[in-house]
Amino acid sequence: MSLLTFFQKGSAILGMNARNLTYIRPHNLKNAKRLADDKIASKRLLKKAGVPVPRLIAKVSSHATLDHYDFSTLPNSFVLKPNQGLGGSGILIVYGRKKGRNDAWVKSNGKIVTIDDIKAHIRNILDGAFSLSGSPDIAFFEERLQLSPKLKPYAYKGIPDIRIIIYNSVPVMAMLRLPTKESDGKANLQQGGIGVGIDMATGTTTTSVIGKSKLIDYIPGSRLLLKGVKIPHWDDMLLLAVKAQKASGLGFLGADVAIDRERGPVFLELNARPGLSIQVANLAGLKRRLERVEGLKIKSAEHGVRVGKNLFGGEIEQELEETSGKSVIGSVEKVTFHGVNDKKIEVEAKIDTGAYSTSIDYELARQLGFGELVDYWKKIDLSKLSLERGKGRTIETQLLKEHQKNIPQLHDVSVIFASSGVSARPVVKIIFEMDKRTITAKVNIVDRSDLTYPSIIGKRNLHRFLVDVSK
Amino acid sequence: MFSTHSLASFENIHPIVEYMTFNNVPLETVTILLLFPFIATLVVLLRQVIGLQAFGIYTPSIIAIAFIAMGRHDVGGVQYAIAIYIAVLTIGMLMRYTMQKLRLLYLPRVAITITVVTICTLLILTAGGVMGRIGFAQAELFAILIIVTLVEKFVAVQIEKGSRPALILAIETLIIALISYFLMSTSTSTGLAVTEFILEHPYSILLLIPFHIFLGRWTGLRASEYMRFRDVIDKIQ
Repeated sequence: MSLLTFFQKGSAILGMNARNLTYIRPHNLKNAKRLADDKIASKRLLKKAGVPVPRLIAKVSSHATLDHYDFSTLPNSFVLKPNQGLGGSGILIVYGRKKGRNDAWVKSNGKIVTIDDIKAHIRNILDGAFSLSGSPDIAFFEERLQLSPKLKPYAYKGIPDIRIIIYNSVPVMAMLRLPTKESDGKANLQQGGIGVGIDMATGTTTTSVIGKSKLIDYIPGSRLLLKGVKIPHWDDMLLLAVKAQKASGLGFLGADVAIDRERGPVFLELNARPGLSIQVANLAGLKRRLERVEGLKIKSAEHGVRVGKNLFGGEIEQELEETSGKSVIGSVEKVTFHGVNDKKIEVEAKIDTGAYSTSIDYELARQLGFGELVDYWKKIDLSKLSLERGKGRTIETQLLKEHQKNIPQLHDVSVIFASSGVSARPVVKIIFEMDKRTITAKVNIVDRSDLTYPSIIGKRNLHRFLVDVSK
Repeated sequence: MFSTHSLASFENIHPIVEYMTFNNVPLETVTILLLFPFIATLVVLLRQVIGLQAFGIYTPSIIAIAFIAMGRHDVGGVQYAIAIYIAVLTIGMLMRYTMQKLRLLYLPRVAITITVVTICTLLILTAGGVMGRIGFAQAELFAILIIVTLVEKFVAVQIEKGSRPALILAIETLIIALISYFLMSTSTSTGLAVTEFILEHPYSILLLIPFHIFLGRWTGLRASEYMRFRDVIDKIQ
């Protein structure tokens, strides 16, 4: 790429200068900004507007109130926040009471927090240690949201939240923020959290970034793929964010929404100065998107959500295919097997990344012209074989040697350890077509008569595909 | 703050400046004040176009002035300014970890940090004196104080954003101060030329205003953002 096109393409990106001058300055007026910086006030206002928010437990507005505060009234788990804290700083989360103690709680990292610790933290908040320009602040306790089971595997301790940028009543870009070990259970990217881009139309995750700009595919230290996660309650979430924009008067809003196990989407925070890393998480320029919704006449919150989904969604599949050279398939796909003498049979196959190899049912094998092999194999007495792990390869060679001379269709033998038990299966070489691609595969034959699909495609034959489980 | 000796040797000092000095405004004061808008311009340029963040505009500008003042050529003290600066940062970092355990309120905590920084500064100055920098040890009180008070800014950012961002901002501030020093201190040849130019054309500070209006409306990406978003730019069609 030449330097010139590099700079031209840069015009799709929203930088600090343009964010501040073109979007924040004219669209986020002083009063609205003040509201966003005041968490208690925004909570009150949003609640009134019918947007669900975390319940306020108590607020501590001065050292005098702190001295008289009865800590025994606090619930087992709660979040302590500075009212005007910046970028997620100064937030204390406790997960439960320390067993057998009434005056201590446990943090996400297992450390104990005593009433004295909490008091010291509140004093720091009151003295303005976490607020903009160090001005005195208010501390408050609020309900701790319960992690939704769907997102549980992806979050380290804390609650993941979803940042949605709303402009002109249209959701333009979104990102899932996951707390990590480094970020101490907080979801802010500046503090080492993970940002995952989201396809606006489907609410499915796309690309991911950790910290400010490092791209990743898996959660560090795990084999959890970040791509292809379907966010629950996606449409409700977008609607909530647009409603919050209307209520708050912030024309250019970074809405933070979380999902509670029982309550569903809950609005966390209004952000009048949303960060720019969302563009890295989505590998897309925010400025171009903002320009596309500029001046559109949006009639209602629902209309805004529709427009956002139409304009900024559905591109991921095509994009993935272009960048990876792989096509995106669902968990069940139509597959055409090419049998003996060019016989073609189309079936629905289960795409199973948990299986290593591809299998077909006896009946399907018979239709494809392998009837002779099926009958032969059914007659062999395999019960005498001691099939155990480690000996698989020896048994395979032994069986192949013994039977290939009798039945030339037999290409190989495969000993498979599956959840249903161990079995020795005949293997044939078959060509199949899936999503317009032709694959030559070693396919094993097994009795699948009591299963829904006559075939499963295993990961050995899936390296040219990406599987979207929501499809 | 400046050695008037070198300034007075300029030949074509503008009549406005001469009128000021004739009326007992020290030439060094005039020079520093005239340099201030230029330093501010440099800070703005580095921030808006290059993307060096630093601690706002006031802190890097004033520290740049402190560096220029301490680094005047008959004292040669810019290395001491840097030493004090680095001492402030190191102590700020160390104190954060040691004092977390003490669980103190914010202001007393900063006050303790200031005390330790003061002791270190005195040690550095004494060391300078021992090595024969008498002029240095006696002067530049305000320059030193300016650098020492950086510690509050540093600790505040540390609490707000964490140690790493605070350190990065502090290093960026140091870079800006050093660039200002090399461009505007009378102990470097470019600095001497710039100072001479300003004293000959004091009205030139007015020309900075249209430049700032331009920068104030400029919405392009910063150089640092081209770096930060290079993966995104690669993907855009």
